[in-house]
Amino acid sequence: MFYREAGQFKTTYAADQALFPIRQDRYAMLAIVAIAFVGIPLFSSNYWLTALLIPFLVFSLASLGLNILTGYAGQLSLGTAAFMAVGAVAAYNFQLRIPGMPILLSFVLGGGTAALVGILFGLPSLRIKGFYLAVATLAAQFFIPWLVTKVGWFSNYSASGVITAQPIVIFGQALDTPREKYLLVLCIVALMALLAKNLVRSRIGRAWMAVRDMDVAAEVIGIRILRTKLIAFAVSSFYCGVAGALYAFAYLGSVEPDGFNLDLSFRILFMVIVGGVGSILGSFLGAAFITLMPILLDVLLTAGSHAFNLNLEPGVTSMMQLLVFGALIIFFLIVEPHGLARLWQITKEKLRLWPFPY
Amino acid sequence: MSPPAGHVMLSVDNIALSFGGVRALSDVSFDVREGEIRAIIGPNGAGKSSMLNVINGVYHPQQGDVSFRGEMRRRMDPHRAAAQGIARTFQNIALFKGMTVLDNIMTGRNLKMRCNLLEQAIYIGRNRREEIAHREKVEEIIDFLQIEHIRKTPVGRLPYGLQKRVELARALAAEPTLLLLDEPMAGMNVEEKQDMCRFILDVNDEFGTTIVLIEHDMGVVMDICDRIVVLDYGRKIGDGTPDEIRSNKVVIDAYLGVSH
Repeated sequence: MFYREAGQFKTTYAADQALFPIRQDRYAMLAIVAIAFVGIPLFSSNYWLTALLIPFLVFSLASLGLNILTGYAGQLSLGTAAFMAVGAVAAYNFQLRIPGMPILLSFVLGGGTAALVGILFGLPSLRIKGFYLAVATLAAQFFIPWLVTKVGWFSNYSASGVITAQPIVIFGQALDTPREKYLLVLCIVALMALLAKNLVRSRIGRAWMAVRDMDVAAEVIGIRILRTKLIAFAVSSFYCGVAGALYAFAYLGSVEPDGFNLDLSFRILFMVIVGGVGSILGSFLGAAFITLMPILLDVLLTAGSHAFNLNLEPGVTSMMQLLVFGALIIFFLIVEPHGLARLWQITKEKLRLWPFPY
Repeated sequence: MSPPAGHVMLSVDNIALSFGGVRALSDVSFDVREGEIRAIIGPNGAGKSSMLNVINGVYHPQQGDVSFRGEMRRRMDPHRAAAQGIARTFQNIALFKGMTVLDNIMTGRNLKMRCNLLEQAIYIGRNRREEIAHREKVEEIIDFLQIEHIRKTPVGRLPYGLQKRVELARALAAEPTLLLLDEPMAGMNVEEKQDMCRFILDVNDEFGTTIVLIEHDMGVVMDICDRIVVLDYGRKIGDGTPDEIRSNKVVIDAYLGVSH
């Protein structure tokens, strides 16, 4: 009824290949962008910004990075947090050691360093696939935090390897309120999401999916398998590296290398799986689900226990929160194994016909 | 159909290929002339698919040479074969299941695209022009093979016959000079076979593409092919026009059989 493209004719291939070929989608996207850039900064509290929205955006970026590698190029990786660590530590060192270094350039160089490390750990993907490759990327996951802790130079010889991110200053303007940090992170994430979308609908994106779906056929078409996989590792690690830098600089302020542990890698992998493997939108949905749902549940459970005068102990509510959260993940995966993005896609297909499904 | 007068485009000489102790091909030689439709036939396990894999560089023969358009090569990798204009389809459909028909065929034009990673990330400008130019080419092929109605469908959802056709479209998208078809009509019903025959003949006719195909349906092979190679246990036991093959005693014993 409302979501219908009747009467919207496409007369050029350019129009058919546009980002949002359907008018309703374009308006919805504009609305979301307007809310994110204007509405949220105006009406959210500092708590919402620092505790919810900034981490949501940072994790979206990281799961976007992992989704490029795992969802599009089909290479399973458990080293996401390690690549984030590389990005964070590298950005910190570029700021520390090069006077007058613009912070945005440090983020980019941090991502670039992560990309190089990603290529290095991607080399085994020539010979091994699937679970075995995942185990090979575990090497990165254990080696990199260990190296950063062990070699004091990386953290400027601080105690226990903690790095304290420098303040964010852009063009002499210090960004220190949560609102400013949120806007900075939002700009970076929105831009990088757009670039990722462009990549996956261009030649390299098709090459990634070709390697994922049928590598022998891809090779016969003339796609260089190793190069395609390594580009996927590089781009993915670049995204994770920038996410790591933002994690340190805009979210936590100071991080220790052990914070980038296997737990974090798994968290991001779950975001990709729950959100939708091989979908840009899915990365955001998954990150939203995993970062925001526990807090939503917490609020609901607390409100519920007050309403019914249950007087639950704090330990019990947090336990229940975990239980419900786990059940929800399983529920969504049973309902739609391809993730929330696919669920949304099916909803859209249904909506096109609703209410007359003939 | 008269044998074409074109000169030799591809010749394989004394090819020997073995996997461990198993000899897949021994001392096989034949040539393919420009513009012809050449069939490779033979019983199961005769080494037909291995031969195609040698031609486009997936397998490396221990012995022998392949020369394509005057260029001799010992070790070939699939990427170079593709760059030289050799495309192929597979016996078991090897489409990219998660992608739409359109994206599958667009992937076939991968080697013809020039934009670098940065240009692709920015998209507008050169990359968009390139995407649209290639889209136009792909649409011509879609039109040619009559698959307009399914262009936005993920290939995993298509029936078998259409998947075969999409795979042919993907191979054609590379604008090959030599097209290798591994059992293009396997598992099809009579009508689908007729359609596929028509497409193969049209490709040969309109684009001038030289075609090497493997097929088990002798009716089809005898009707559409200019010359036939017969393999048995990795050896060549016959080579010639359909009429010559039909009357070849060795081929009849090994493969064709006689009606009782």
